[in-house]
Amino acid sequence: MGRYVVRRLLQMIPVFVGATLLIFLMVNVMGDPIAGLCGERRCDPATAAQLEKEFGLDKPVWQQYLTYMGNVFTGDFGTAFNGQEVTELMATAFPVTIRLTVIAILFEIVVGIALGVVTGLRRGRPVDTGVLLLTLVVISVPTFVTGLLLQLLLGVKWGWIRPSVSSEAPFDELILPGLVLASVSLAYVTRLTRTSIAENRRSDYVRTAVAKGLPRHRVITRHLLRTSLIPVVTFIGADIGFLMGGAIVTERIFNIHGVGYQIYQGILRQNTQTVVGFVTVLVLVFLVANLVVDLLYAVLDPRIRYA
Amino acid sequence: MPEQHFDPDRAIAGTGMGGTMDLGVDEAESLEKAPGGPEGTGPQGRPRSLWSDAWRDLRRNPVFVVSALVILFLVVISLWPSLITSGSPLTCDLAKAQEGSQPGHPFGFNGQGCDVYTRTVYGARTSVAVGVLATLGVAVLGSVLGALAGFFGGVGDSVLSRITDVFFAIPVVLGGLVLLSVITSNTVWPVIGFIVLLGWPQLSRIARGSVITAKQNDYVQAARALGASPSRLMLRHIAPNAIAPVIVVATIALGTYISLEATLSYLGVGLKPPSVSWGIDISAASPYIRNAPHALLWPSGALAVTVLAFIMLGDAVRDALDPKLR
Amino acid sequence: MLLDVHDLHVEFHTRDGVARAVNGVSYGVDEGETLAVLGESGSGKSVTAQAIMGILDVPPGRITGGEVIFKGRDLLPLKEEQRRKVRGAEMAMIFQDALSSLNPVLSVGDQLGEMFTVHRGMSKKDARAKAVELMDRVRIPAARERVRQYPHQFSGGMRQRIMIAMALALEPALIIADEPTTALDVTVQAQVMELLAELQREYRMGLILITHDLGVVADVADRIAVMYAGRIVESAPVHDIYKAPAHPYTRGLLDSIPRLDQKGRELYAIKGLPPNLMDIPPGCAFHPRCPMARDVCRTDEPPLYEVTESETDRGSACHFWRECLHG
Repeated sequence: MGRYVVRRLLQMIPVFVGATLLIFLMVNVMGDPIAGLCGERRCDPATAAQLEKEFGLDKPVWQQYLTYMGNVFTGDFGTAFNGQEVTELMATAFPVTIRLTVIAILFEIVVGIALGVVTGLRRGRPVDTGVLLLTLVVISVPTFVTGLLLQLLLGVKWGWIRPSVSSEAPFDELILPGLVLASVSLAYVTRLTRTSIAENRRSDYVRTAVAKGLPRHRVITRHLLRTSLIPVVTFIGADIGFLMGGAIVTERIFNIHGVGYQIYQGILRQNTQTVVGFVTVLVLVFLVANLVVDLLYAVLDPRIRYA
Repeated sequence: MPEQHFDPDRAIAGTGMGGTMDLGVDEAESLEKAPGGPEGTGPQGRPRSLWSDAWRDLRRNPVFVVSALVILFLVVISLWPSLITSGSPLTCDLAKAQEGSQPGHPFGFNGQGCDVYTRTVYGARTSVAVGVLATLGVAVLGSVLGALAGFFGGVGDSVLSRITDVFFAIPVVLGGLVLLSVITSNTVWPVIGFIVLLGWPQLSRIARGSVITAKQNDYVQAARALGASPSRLMLRHIAPNAIAPVIVVATIALGTYISLEATLSYLGVGLKPPSVSWGIDISAASPYIRNAPHALLWPSGALAVTVLAFIMLGDAVRDALDPKLR
Repeated sequence: MLLDVHDLHVEFHTRDGVARAVNGVSYGVDEGETLAVLGESGSGKSVTAQAIMGILDVPPGRITGGEVIFKGRDLLPLKEEQRRKVRGAEMAMIFQDALSSLNPVLSVGDQLGEMFTVHRGMSKKDARAKAVELMDRVRIPAARERVRQYPHQFSGGMRQRIMIAMALALEPALIIADEPTTALDVTVQAQVMELLAELQREYRMGLILITHDLGVVADVADRIAVMYAGRIVESAPVHDIYKAPAHPYTRGLLDSIPRLDQKGRELYAIKGLPPNLMDIPPGCAFHPRCPMARDVCRTDEPPLYEVTESETDRGSACHFWRECLHG
């Protein structure tokens, strides 16, 4: 197991370098990194040259990348457009997005798995068909449309919630945005659980459990769920990375000042440091989440052994 | 090392979770348990191919028929929008802004006083163009690279696998924001290019996997033992069997690419006005959501139905091509 | 009689029609007795067993008639909760493929111990001790250490021993073993079969041994019931059948066993395929494949005739059982 972890960590390095380099290049294409630094007007050539030298922008891109990564690993993510340290922005933005993600994951676990179990055990019945159609609709409607519609209905028409989230973004204000963020994954979790349950329900070991004279609830919780949820748990684990990266749309709709908002601002103001910094952290989260999922697999399924 | 069991690029494309995504039409699961099922005594006619069997199934599947008709309709109106509307999407009258449904203008007017019906009809063109062209690009690039890697293996295969890992690690919408924010060209091409750039790894993975599976089939091994050349093996024996999953995933991906284009346009980096796109219209309508929700609902509905049609079509094709369900 | 199955009928409703899997099966087992139920796949032998255990998949399966009298009471009208208490405790089942029949993510100790915690209300610790005891019982070496392991860590033979231990746990009066050795290596088959027979004698349990392998049957069974198309076609003490079968189907089965003394002769095979259960031939279901078939076989369904020439209790569902017996 230990050797496996080390090997996986080593494998992560080229992927991490590749992904951050790709982002670095994209951001460099994005435009003039110093354009935002002279206020509203364009910098005059002399100042521009001086600034370029100061930030090492006159060097080749690969050197800039190395310098940047060197700084990142000492905890220096550079400066944002308003002179704030990028790390400071992160300290305010990440807790918000993490709260949002936690709520989304909770929705996936509670609602998604419950719906999946119910439909999986009642395959072909009206409940099953209804939920399946609903999941299909949720998957088909883009998140931003779902978000806008729910905001319209719950926030504007019925007034159940505040249509936009305050800057502190406490848990209770994030419930609806969390649901919106989770919506597509929620539909997947439902379908995945349903398929998994329906498949395993006919399995030999479930038949054995019934033949042993176990009560129905024990057959379901201990024998059927335990195995059926393995792919679901790993899906949800891997989803953490996706949700944090995809939160930008939800944050835009509900005006949440999280990671997506900061990146969006960074792009608007052409601030490379902010964009690269945040995306680097997101890539790391994605890679670590996937590693954890792989290890989780081994914990959940004793048949898997890492050599 | 375990294979990942999730579909890494759901954000772009992929509803291919865990195999069956059937629509609740329950297969007779009992057949194998009910002894003496039809297979023992079935008609011993000439063997039909997977494709003709699938086509026979599809024609009788109402889900397929309905979604195919919707798609056909969309393609027709995106080629000839004037068939069902006489207006122009760019003729707007601010005096009529936010007005509701009225004769000749069934969907009412949006915040700029443009006719929502006409704009919704013309919006189909963008979505269909982006969906079809991006899918073509992704399918060609992804399946060729994936098939080559799967067929020849070796260093090229490992390198390709690492490259796809890199692309999977980048959040799609963020990538789109960064890359498309600098582009000033207001055509569908940058969006299509971006989708192809980030979408090909998914299809290359599918193609690689199915080529490797097909390669291990006994008849392919036999053909190889009989001295068939690599190109003959690939084209004649492997490709016909490996292409089914690629087609299924590409069909479903097409729907999600349409959704992605709308999302990027909503965020302001896809297409920009005066282009006509459902994403732009939804974005433009969202500030007026209180007074003129119709301007938001119609393009949203059109978008949802379009994406749904492609996803259901892909689902139906998957069911028809999946021999396990037979 | 410990178990008396009487005129049992089971159907499966599928998209393509109704499969009549069991059509009036009757058989009985006494305590300490071993009944071998023989037949090709699809003959209804496993479905009958599932109906007795009450683990039939309903739907698509449906019991449309008959009785399953166990220890003097009919199980079929009982409520599920009462049925459940019988399962595992009073009658238990051993399945063919132990690898897929054991839960892959629970340790064998958990799966064995569960019998005691659920049916007997034992504590987890006591149940674990019982599990070790059971594993010793079925001669699994190093039981104390291996009780924590998972099914995939055992060999095929050891896994089937665990299945046997699980069936044996609460010392049920009846065990149904559905092809218990089919999935095993030939060398291991004999050991597992021997163990099962030995434990059966020791606990004086009734044993229904479902198999398609006549070789296994000869050593351990007291009686044989041969099934075809959901019906019993011949029922007799094991030695009578081997001496002289009274049904052409049984004869065909016996003739298709390779034998050393007939080396060089072509091996016999019953011609044709088992019938489609959605469309069972009229008359005797076996007639399309029967070398002795005559006109009456195509029209009249034979009842289970009593074989009057025998001193023992024997039946054959063949109009011409007399000819078969002598021919």
